[in-house]
Amino acid sequence: MKKQFFGLILVLLLIVPFPAYAGPPLDTVKGHINKVLDVLSDSSLKGESGKSAKKAKIRSISEKMFDYNELSRRTLGQNWNKFNNEQQKEFTELYKCILEDAYADKLITYTDEKVLFNKETILSEKTCEIQTTIITKKADIPIHYRVIQKEGEWRVYDIVIEGVSLVNNYRTQFREILASKSPDGLLDILRKKVGRA
Amino acid sequence: MAGHKAFLWGKGEELTMKLRKFSIGVVVISVLFLFGCAHNSVRQDSQAPVVTAAVSDQNQETKSTQAPQIQPDTAKETEIKLAEDKEDITEEGEEEAPQIADPFYIWNKGWYYFNDKFYFWLLKPVSKGYSFIFPEIARIGVSNFFYNITTPIRFVNSILQFKMKDAGNELLRLVINSTVGVGGLGDFAKGQLDIKRKNEDLGQTFGAYGVGHGFYLVWPILGPSSLRDTVGLVGDGFLNPINYIRPVETSIAITAYDTVNYTSLHIGDYEDIIEAAVDPYISIRDAYVQNRKKKVDE
Repeated sequence: MKKQFFGLILVLLLIVPFPAYAGPPLDTVKGHINKVLDVLSDSSLKGESGKSAKKAKIRSISEKMFDYNELSRRTLGQNWNKFNNEQQKEFTELYKCILEDAYADKLITYTDEKVLFNKETILSEKTCEIQTTIITKKADIPIHYRVIQKEGEWRVYDIVIEGVSLVNNYRTQFREILASKSPDGLLDILRKKVGRA
Repeated sequence: MAGHKAFLWGKGEELTMKLRKFSIGVVVISVLFLFGCAHNSVRQDSQAPVVTAAVSDQNQETKSTQAPQIQPDTAKETEIKLAEDKEDITEEGEEEAPQIADPFYIWNKGWYYFNDKFYFWLLKPVSKGYSFIFPEIARIGVSNFFYNITTPIRFVNSILQFKMKDAGNELLRLVINSTVGVGGLGDFAKGQLDIKRKNEDLGQTFGAYGVGHGFYLVWPILGPSSLRDTVGLVGDGFLNPINYIRPVETSIAITAYDTVNYTSLHIGDYEDIIEAAVDPYISIRDAYVQNRKKKVDE
């Protein structure tokens, strides 16, 4: 009887789809990072063409991993409301480019790093922090991913490296720029940075 | 090469940290951060979440422009938006970055440019040449050696912060790595016994006592610091055995070598920070403050 019961549960588990259930946040982040590591260690991608293939793959993973909209809103903070709809959209797009250039592309230079997933801490009802450590020959670097749940999915909205929050770091920069410049002025600076001016 | 000033200010710093400072930018993400932290945090964004709550602008006049201006006809819409924003902001309230006063902006920015050039024109080429000659494993050994020799700084500061377990770990690490680790070249304590490194310095001790940064200060060659951390640096200098080597020239030369060795292991870190930043000066300042806060909190 007991056996049958478990059998039934097993069958139910197998056939009932859980599309809305994103899984614990740690598993989600872990999944993305493992995918990135797989791409990085993919020995079939070599040379210059392999490099750009890797970049493209990492970018498509980051697309699913990050909530760029949330990232942008949090980075601008109060200033978000000074941007009109179009400016907000453009900002999000440009900011995404900057982050990808800065971090996604940098990743492909890593080869022998190991990532430890330490624990997850609840920050609020919808947000939590996944603590990881990158082990390199030279140092252990603590990297924390802050994730938010939206429509059943957990997505990263901030990365904290050695205590330095990406969102806070850019927020301070943008705030200083916006103290003397208009939203368009800031967008102009970002366009130049991304090479679209 | 490091110059007299470097010697003076580098006196008490823990080596690893010093190097990091030395290599100025090298810092950032994994490095620079050894320092910064601010206790005088000005929670700017979260200070004006509600329309009626005028930003308390005691220390941020310039920021007061951020308080939303409400036009009667759009008031409702704005209120809704603000409500959303408020939610966001309370949510991340505790992660709001600390800020630091920067009254000596001109001085700081001047040395920031100097340090940038110093890194790209002198420190980086020298370190690159050095790393070309010596394999990484040897350079990591040297770096471990310098870390080991500055144990007094971490030991004393752990005690000053009543972190007896950390102090004990420092002693253990010193004994183990000086013997089994062959004079500190290997980090046996960490590799085999999992006794982790933990940086402590006088600036952090002050921070743990509740002393704020005061203000941001950039020093030539040493890089980002603050009033509090500068005082700490000088104090720590007395605990750094290298500073007791005579003649003074030898002491300076060793410190310079330490810096080059450290930089050789971290080429690219500073470049990454600069490239990722929209305003590198502010990015580094903010990173310094955030990182120091983390160090003090730990």
